[in-house]
Amino acid sequence: MILGLGLLLLSFIRKNDHLKKVSLEVLFLIALATLPVYVSGQAAAETLKGQSGVSADAIMAHNDSALASFIMMEITGFFAWLVLWRMRRIGWPTTGLTYTVLVLSVLTVAAVARAANIGGDIRHPEISGGQYAGLFGQSSGTPLISAAAIKDFVLQHPWVWPTCETLHFIGMSLMFGVLMIVNLRLVGWLRGMSFASVHRLLPFGLMGFGINFITGMFFFIAASEQYTQNVAFHYKIILLMLAGVNYLVLTVYDEAWALPASAEAPLSGRLLGASALVLSIGVMYFGRMLPFIGNAF
Amino acid sequence: MLSALDQSAFSTWLLSSNSIWAYPTVLTLHTFGMMVLVGAALMIDLRLLGFGRGIPLSSLERLFRVMWGAFWLNLVTGTMLFIADASKRATQPLFLIKLLLVASGIVTIVLIRRRIFDGTKEPMVISGAAKRLAVTSLLVWCAAVTAGRLLAYVG
Repeated sequence: MILGLGLLLLSFIRKNDHLKKVSLEVLFLIALATLPVYVSGQAAAETLKGQSGVSADAIMAHNDSALASFIMMEITGFFAWLVLWRMRRIGWPTTGLTYTVLVLSVLTVAAVARAANIGGDIRHPEISGGQYAGLFGQSSGTPLISAAAIKDFVLQHPWVWPTCETLHFIGMSLMFGVLMIVNLRLVGWLRGMSFASVHRLLPFGLMGFGINFITGMFFFIAASEQYTQNVAFHYKIILLMLAGVNYLVLTVYDEAWALPASAEAPLSGRLLGASALVLSIGVMYFGRMLPFIGNAF
Repeated sequence: MLSALDQSAFSTWLLSSNSIWAYPTVLTLHTFGMMVLVGAALMIDLRLLGFGRGIPLSSLERLFRVMWGAFWLNLVTGTMLFIADASKRATQPLFLIKLLLVASGIVTIVLIRRRIFDGTKEPMVISGAAKRLAVTSLLVWCAAVTAGRLLAYVG
């Protein structure tokens, strides 16, 4: 994260657009990598709970601050992607959006530092004397965002889970619609459209992902033990990571960008398109199979 | 008739077999078909509403084939899921609403194909009527997904 922010700062100082692009790509990839980090952190918390020498309050506070930094990181990654997408279309990074990413990165670094600080208290409560005063000077009583409150909200209102499921399916369809057009074009099954024209649809794919990220987080926070130990969920996250990298390549793909309507994509493009389709169907498969594979629920 | 379906060997196998190839696979195929059909419909609707103007309508023609393939897949898998739970589903208002919504969605797709993708020329501007049809299609498909997904939770 510091690396991504550092690169971005350097690119501003050097006024180097290429460096700016690299730093935005790094930030997007970090946002992707944060997903398994958060998920495995939740699994670790479940394992640690009830062990001696471990502060339950600190786990909870760390969990909440980790959730806040995770959300910050994802927002940063989203905006970094948006700049990259615009940059590919118009040729240079839009200043306003890039500064937004810069500010978000600084806030994310601060949030991560706070989470790490509280995380240290889990095993070493003696350092802070049991007070979880983080960078923002907040005590453990008032977290920025509370996983427990989200959990209660989802579990106490019977309409929340079905509503999230419904939105999750609509988001999935939106995302897959975009992936289908872009990647069937690359594979060569859809013809007569330039790559630049289908590239226009990519934000809708990310919008679908956004819907599914938010609704998916509701499921995960409300019933994390249902997912952390489920092998289908692990596969789903792994495939999602790969699909995310694939999406980034599609967004900044120079060789395909120049493809006119009638031209066939190079071999790398066809492979990229085919793998994107396989990966996204795989993500759907393991998502739908969650209740049936592994520790079925 | 309905209870005969409920008690058929097929229904018993689908519901109580521990095989991953029974209920889970049929349900997943149904989800896959939905994702392809609704995903393609949403893309055509968005294109008609002015997103991705650079995409020639004629190049999207092939998507209709994809949608019909997905529709038949879901008709087959949907029938299998219905047989498994026939007497409950047949009397469930939400299920009937879902069928109606899916049928309406198909009608919007057929109308879009006939009226806008007539294969003769590339329209320079999308007419207001075409845009209204696209909005209708978008809403109907989202409603159909909603009704279908809620079947797992309502009555």
